Amino acid sequence: MWGLEPSSRKTASSRDILSIVTLSRIRNFSIVAHIDHGKSTLADRLLALTGAMDPKKAVDQVLDSMDLERERGITIKQHTVCLPYRARDGQEYTLNLIDTPGHVDFSYEVSRSLAACEGALLIVDAAQGVEAQTLANFHLALEAHLTIIPIINKIDLPQADPEGTRRQIAEILGLNPDDTIAISAKIGTGVPEVLEAIVHRIPPPPGDPAAPLKALVFDSFYDPYQGVVVYVRIFDGRVRAGMPALLMSNGRVYEVQQVGVFRPEMRIVDELAAGEVGYLTAGIKRVADAKVGETIADANRPAAVPFPGYRDAKPMVFAGLYPVEDTAYQSLRDALEKLRLNDSALTYEPETSLALGVGFRSGFLGLLHMEIVQERLEREFGLTLIITSPSVRYRVVPTAGETVEIDNPSKLPSSGEIDHIEEPYVRASVFAPTEFMNPIYRLAQDKRGTHRSLEYLGKRVHITFDFPLAEIIVDFYDRLKSISKGYASLDYEFLEFRPSDLVKLDILLNGDPVDALSVILHRDKAYEKGKTLAEKLRAVIPRQLFEVAIQAAIGSRVIARETVKAIRKNVTAKCYGGDITRKRKLLEKQKEGKKRMKQLGKVEVPQEAFLSVLRS
Amino acid sequence: MTPGAPDLKPSQTGPLGVYLHIPFCRQRCHYCSFNTGPYRPAAMERFLSALLSEIDLVGEARWAGGVSIGTVFFGGGTPSLLEGDEMEAVLNRLRKRFTLAPAAEVTVECNPESLTRDKAEGCRLAGVNRLSLGVQSLDDDLLARLGRLHSPVEARRAFNEARAAGFDNLSVDLMYGLPGLDLARWESAVGEILAWRPEHLSAYALTLDEGSRWASEGVAGLPDEDTVTAQYWALARLARQTGYEHYEISNYARDGFRSRHNQVYWRAEEYLAFGPGACGFLGDVRYGNVKPVERYCAMLEAGSLPLGTHEVLTPGQREAERRILGLRLTDGVPLPWLKDRRPLIDTWHSLGLLEIAGGRCRLTEAGFLLSDSLFVHLL
Repeated sequence: MWGLEPSSRKTASSRDILSIVTLSRIRNFSIVAHIDHGKSTLADRLLALTGAMDPKKAVDQVLDSMDLERERGITIKQHTVCLPYRARDGQEYTLNLIDTPGHVDFSYEVSRSLAACEGALLIVDAAQGVEAQTLANFHLALEAHLTIIPIINKIDLPQADPEGTRRQIAEILGLNPDDTIAISAKIGTGVPEVLEAIVHRIPPPPGDPAAPLKALVFDSFYDPYQGVVVYVRIFDGRVRAGMPALLMSNGRVYEVQQVGVFRPEMRIVDELAAGEVGYLTAGIKRVADAKVGETIADANRPAAVPFPGYRDAKPMVFAGLYPVEDTAYQSLRDALEKLRLNDSALTYEPETSLALGVGFRSGFLGLLHMEIVQERLEREFGLTLIITSPSVRYRVVPTAGETVEIDNPSKLPSSGEIDHIEEPYVRASVFAPTEFMNPIYRLAQDKRGTHRSLEYLGKRVHITFDFPLAEIIVDFYDRLKSISKGYASLDYEFLEFRPSDLVKLDILLNGDPVDALSVILHRDKAYEKGKTLAEKLRAVIPRQLFEVAIQAAIGSRVIARETVKAIRKNVTAKCYGGDITRKRKLLEKQKEGKKRMKQLGKVEVPQEAFLSVLRS
Repeated sequence: MTPGAPDLKPSQTGPLGVYLHIPFCRQRCHYCSFNTGPYRPAAMERFLSALLSEIDLVGEARWAGGVSIGTVFFGGGTPSLLEGDEMEAVLNRLRKRFTLAPAAEVTVECNPESLTRDKAEGCRLAGVNRLSLGVQSLDDDLLARLGRLHSPVEARRAFNEARAAGFDNLSVDLMYGLPGLDLARWESAVGEILAWRPEHLSAYALTLDEGSRWASEGVAGLPDEDTVTAQYWALARLARQTGYEHYEISNYARDGFRSRHNQVYWRAEEYLAFGPGACGFLGDVRYGNVKPVERYCAMLEAGSLPLGTHEVLTPGQREAERRILGLRLTDGVPLPWLKDRRPLIDTWHSLGLLEIAGGRCRLTEAGFLLSDSLFVHLL
């Protein structure tokens, strides 16, 4: 479409011929990389070079637009941009860059983007070499049958080892070392070659503009004015405003209101045709109504076969979200609903805790996703939250009746009714310099990992393990980073459910179980965990008017006990004329602190108590 | 604190209290965080003249003539550094500008070493009718550690001379929770003091307040919480046995001898303040004078009020203050003041920390010890 005015598409036949010409000038591609290997920097560089963006503004990585993304230096939500490019052959091309998230929690989102592409730039840091997510992304790209262009980035760094990296790309990924392009996205070296490679190596999109419309939804976001903005890749046919769009999974029909492309700002076009990437709006109210993987057809000429469904975003980690103040329940619900408009991977349903009152059981892709949601709820919606200990989903096979899945430890049936419990396992892939092998194996053992394979790659190793997911959702990644001085990388994918000797560990305060503090864990770890938890709680629960007994128990058996002694005195001895204001202000400050306290029975428990369970 | 001059005007019709701050000491005590500096006769002279100007300036307010003063308190610092005629000059200036009630309670804080028989008589002649004696301890070592200039012998002498000078309303200040103070020594000190039969006794657990030497440098040998608590209870028991009423968290009195001035504070009544760093309460404004003596004097010499800070209380803050100050007194507060805190009151009641009788709610002696845990919920 680039270089062609829509008005020149006069008749059906001439339009089709022109579109075929157009197709050969379109390239749809993604950039994939291990975190921090320079994906966003290259994206910005491409934007600047093609004139899609003023190079002066390229200082900040524009594609990472959410505040949180910038602060954490990662991409959470993907962005798409259409780059006009005049290649060295003198032709005008339209390069559609589909940005992808760069964290292990979001590999599902990566797969969605890749399905809309014909090619992928696989970036490898010249100083770091191939990492776990390099490999994981490489496999995702292979699965999507993409043409892969290996790129060695950061060759300007003093510690860069482009040759070693080239060898790794050949040995580990099996790619032709001659195909690699060495660049520095930061200073621009080699980036023009990347653009040429995109044009010459990635095939143009297939598709028939004359066929009935068949478009793939690969992302969406909610806009308060236009409703859901749906990111589409058109495979066949064309779409324009006024057309009745049929969502094939649910049979709903919406009238298309606007179609456009990202330059990177949204720019309206007359139509999007086969091979093109852009957006459409159709008065869709929630992101969940136009799910990723959805096939959009022309209601008047429905496409025969929808796309095979994408993998649905499946929450892996579950936790209770409770407002510290009971009155904030409605606000929390509204906030979750707003986030959900834009985050189809987030799930939530009302839940009642004896300890914490009413809140929501929420599902997340992983712990990072959970932290992001929590931060957004607190920062953007001003809520103060208690998050219960994260849990995975367990399969409980009862002695009689049907298997149930539970994602909340307090829902576990009593042990007498349980035949056995199964927990989700993942296959984890770890890359690290050889010198860190021993601590990594020790960590794996501590986390109930089973060794699967070991591969030496020069000075580095690639180890795979099977882990219970529950063991790696909490502090595994942090510990892995810390024992390897930051050098080890991790990726994992769901494997299967396996039977495990699991028990429920309860925490009791003055004899009353606090349902929100219960955890399910392996029997071998229960004693240690119970002890740690009781100690941590003793440290964070302030002394109260009465003694507080903290017990950790499995069933009726108490395995650890700690005591928070009653406070003996808390009094201002002198309070005369000049002391009154100071005293009141001091109390006012303390009262502010109390807002983060939750009253459990008569015991005041600070928000940190719940966090300490989460972090232990 | 809000900027701009506040509208200072009493709202109550009853008599006001007056606090006068005398900001000099011969030596600063190690636990002291008050606004006080080294005593120099020239500085005292300049200060006194500024103090009189301040009384004059406030006294020019339209409402001043109609104000009756019910209590006067010379605090410090070391007010007993003043001579009798100097106290008289100050009181006369108050009489000139306001109405000093005939039965007004007029208290002067005294350090034992500066209270002689002559000084005591001078005080009495000036119109002072109550002395508060800063004994703090009856232990030589401890007094030295505290940085006090008197000995136990001097304390006994000062008390007796005050009596001999005709004072029938004497208060003694004591401290417990001191480094190295064990329960036995404390009980013996309390026993002796009570045997003096002062009309009033204030006893404070040591706190390391910001601005004190001990707070910044630290102090070794502080007793643990259990010991301090035991000292509180020993005092409470001995005072009760000898006929003293534990009428405020840190204060005890024989029948009819509660400190009227300090009750002004705890009943959230209004009071005027004079002197550097002195704090007053008028209408709904809590205010404080500038603290540096030099600055205080200079401002008054230039004819302006030495106002430093002020805060206009919201009705909510006023109510909160009434509750938390009122509960410091054994009289407690009317039950309706706490009607929206029912579950809290029930808990405190069930734990024996609070009593409800005669439509009032009051803390028990056990409740006093934990009172801040309640007050934080009463804001």
